[in-house]
Amino acid sequence: MRRSPVSLLLALVAFGAGCGGDSPSATGPNNQVNPCPAASSPANAMTVLGCGDFKPKRITGEIYVHGTMGYSTTWNNASSTSALYVWDVAANVPKLVDSVLVDGASTLGDVAVTPDGKYLVVATEYTGGSIVIYSLTDPRKPQFVTRFSNAETNPGVHTAEIGSVNGRLYAFLCVDPAGTPAKLVIVDITNPAAPQQVYSRYTGAPYVHDTFLRDGILFLGLWNAGVAIWDLGGGGLGGTPSNPVDIGSVQTANGHVHNIWWLKDPVTGSSRYAFIGEESPGSVGTSSSGDIHVVDVSNMAAPREVAFYTVPGAGTHNFSVDEQNGILYAAYYNGGVRALDVRGDLGTCTAAQKSSPVNQSVQLCDLSKMGRELAVGLKDRSNPVFIWGVQFLNGSVYASDMLNGIWKLSAVSR
Amino acid sequence: MPTTRAHLISASLALVAAMSTGREARAQHQGHAGMAMDSTRPSPAPNSLHVMAQAIPVVTRAHNTAGRRDLTEGYLAQWVAMGSGRLLQGHVLFDVTLNGEGLTLRRGELSTGAFGEGFVDRRHPHTYLHELIATGVGRAGALGYSASIGRGFVPFGTDDPMMRPFEKYPINHHLSQILERGLAIGALRLGPAILEASTFGGDEPTSPGALPRRDRLGDSWSTRFTVLPFTGAELQASYANLRSPEQPEGFGLDQRKQSVSGRFVSANGKRYLLGEWARTDERDRDRDIAVFGYETALLEGAATLGPIDIGLRLEQTERPEEERLADPFRTPRPASDLSIAGITRWRTATAAVAFPGATFGPLRGYPYVELERLAASSRSPTDIFDARQFYGSPIWMISLGVRIRYGVMHPRMGRYGVALPGGPTLHALGVDPRQSPVHVGH
Repeated sequence: MRRSPVSLLLALVAFGAGCGGDSPSATGPNNQVNPCPAASSPANAMTVLGCGDFKPKRITGEIYVHGTMGYSTTWNNASSTSALYVWDVAANVPKLVDSVLVDGASTLGDVAVTPDGKYLVVATEYTGGSIVIYSLTDPRKPQFVTRFSNAETNPGVHTAEIGSVNGRLYAFLCVDPAGTPAKLVIVDITNPAAPQQVYSRYTGAPYVHDTFLRDGILFLGLWNAGVAIWDLGGGGLGGTPSNPVDIGSVQTANGHVHNIWWLKDPVTGSSRYAFIGEESPGSVGTSSSGDIHVVDVSNMAAPREVAFYTVPGAGTHNFSVDEQNGILYAAYYNGGVRALDVRGDLGTCTAAQKSSPVNQSVQLCDLSKMGRELAVGLKDRSNPVFIWGVQFLNGSVYASDMLNGIWKLSAVSR
Repeated sequence: MPTTRAHLISASLALVAAMSTGREARAQHQGHAGMAMDSTRPSPAPNSLHVMAQAIPVVTRAHNTAGRRDLTEGYLAQWVAMGSGRLLQGHVLFDVTLNGEGLTLRRGELSTGAFGEGFVDRRHPHTYLHELIATGVGRAGALGYSASIGRGFVPFGTDDPMMRPFEKYPINHHLSQILERGLAIGALRLGPAILEASTFGGDEPTSPGALPRRDRLGDSWSTRFTVLPFTGAELQASYANLRSPEQPEGFGLDQRKQSVSGRFVSANGKRYLLGEWARTDERDRDRDIAVFGYETALLEGAATLGPIDIGLRLEQTERPEEERLADPFRTPRPASDLSIAGITRWRTATAAVAFPGATFGPLRGYPYVELERLAASSRSPTDIFDARQFYGSPIWMISLGVRIRYGVMHPRMGRYGVALPGGPTLHALGVDPRQSPVHVGH
């Protein structure tokens, strides 16, 4: 609510008399005693199995679950030492079993486990940006292996995705702009003890925010420069991780391209769609904005946006897809978790099922109007949530909540 | 569009040149130092030059600053060399201000609540080339007009805090002034009414040595309307439309800024009062929606009581909270993504006492003490940034310093040409009794 100038000036005068009497602020979300209690549940609410058993003193960032262990990062720490939390998620209620402190990092924004489950890779921000690699020989107690950083990663590594190309394992580091433009750095971590940088390129406007690798093709989220697709060995254009070749690019509505998931549906065999997360402005804990954009990549040289999904008053963040069942889970900050049916033809719909993304005139298929929203998670809590990351694994969905820790939910069935 | 911007700049340069040679142009500005000339004065003006230099060694003790720290720090702040004058019988005016804070305030000046340009709870150093403006002045009957071009203050909001009675800047500096921009300004004055309009580059400096980006020139604009109802009084309302001030390449949030204020200074500069309200709305240009809003209200005054000057400032200002670096006084630039961590509402009360000056050769020193009490709270209970937890309570700052000066302080900062009303330097900033208390500026 806006205040009038007069009321503000009167408030100032009153303050002059009462300056010493600070009124206590409303209790912040980090002071909540129990984030788990449910309020009334909507009909399509996802079932909550449990929540992390700690009152976080740090703000939760990303989550990655492998097997029965989960790893969550922390964001915007008050010192140059950040914590990585280790969870046992075998039971319904995740149990905090350990933590790892990472020096020289005020934020650990991204975390991933290598496909073989042997190593954990954590991205660090800001100055002194790096990736830190831990051995998961004992997954309950990650052991430091090495830390990779150089002048190119120094501004900060915002995300670090892991994937294999032609039998070698790579990390794709999205480096923050800071005096120099944003940059993608590709590091060969086949030997995790001795990472080797194989490629770097200035890209993104102004950020290269995230990547998605599949079958030797790399998708890059370049913010206002849209989505780029590079051949690293699977695109038939002769690209390699040390010499990527551009395949195509696309501008999605309103830019702010944050993350990507290229779906290969094992049931239908379709690999037609990539889902693009748009992260527009928000105030952490309070508000967010940004839609999911569906891009038809059947011709990767000329991708085109065909559909979108929007939640009024909330914005999307990271995705995870249950590909066997064709269900995309999206972290939606203050909008909780959204489960969308992404199987079948998403680019064909009736006129009544079309809408325009905000501030756009083009008409696209609207997944909400198409009845593609299957369920909503964590909007039935009695306390606010702000969901950063989500991961589907073995019938469960794990969500990291910047305000409350982590959650475990039942996956949605078709 | 670059071509349009180039035309605007070319036109402004041509206007300045035309004013400097036009037969109808009459000198509107008197000589310099201490009192801004009322540009309606119809007197001729010889060429002149006024030079002034200042430095403020200051020690600040902050209790419960960022991270609940108690810090005591000392600096050389606000060390500037200012020159202004007129050429061609007053048809062309110039203002130049060089600022050395980039050398002595590299980590910023401890100032709990302050924010901007990647600094938080410290005031950022200003650019070395703080101001370089050329102005052509003319008159057509009762209508005075001027055109200015260069780097300096956008016609928006209130005077720069450096020309006001407190060494510590108010928190609202980035809501109430727009400075160090490459700009072109046109101004009209008719009797007590002044209208200014400007076009400028919205990008704010990224370092003390930064210059305005050429590709951003002309992407933002502002207008300010001022009325001078009686001698010493001034009312203004202004609006500015900035493109991406915090992201130099232009991808950041835009700002819409509003300001209204009333100001009074007595003829001898010994009574001063300012009330202002301002609001900045940040907009997502791509989605064409307002996303964040920050409001401020400020009331400050000063009075000379015998040998001392006292000042009091009350302020309520809303500030964005951003992710902080390992150094809690810095935030990433450009910011990570487009999000903030909440909005903090600050309330401050500042009292200042300035003592009589002493002479040291060509220099004169004016000691002062400032005491500031602050309170911070989150505007929304769901904001993730918990101001109470981060700062603790109570929050205090006390500063001791000396304004060391060569020459006479300029009376105003932030207006050019016919938009500069007459008036004296504030006595609370220190006035040399050896020099005439009534000086003339432009």
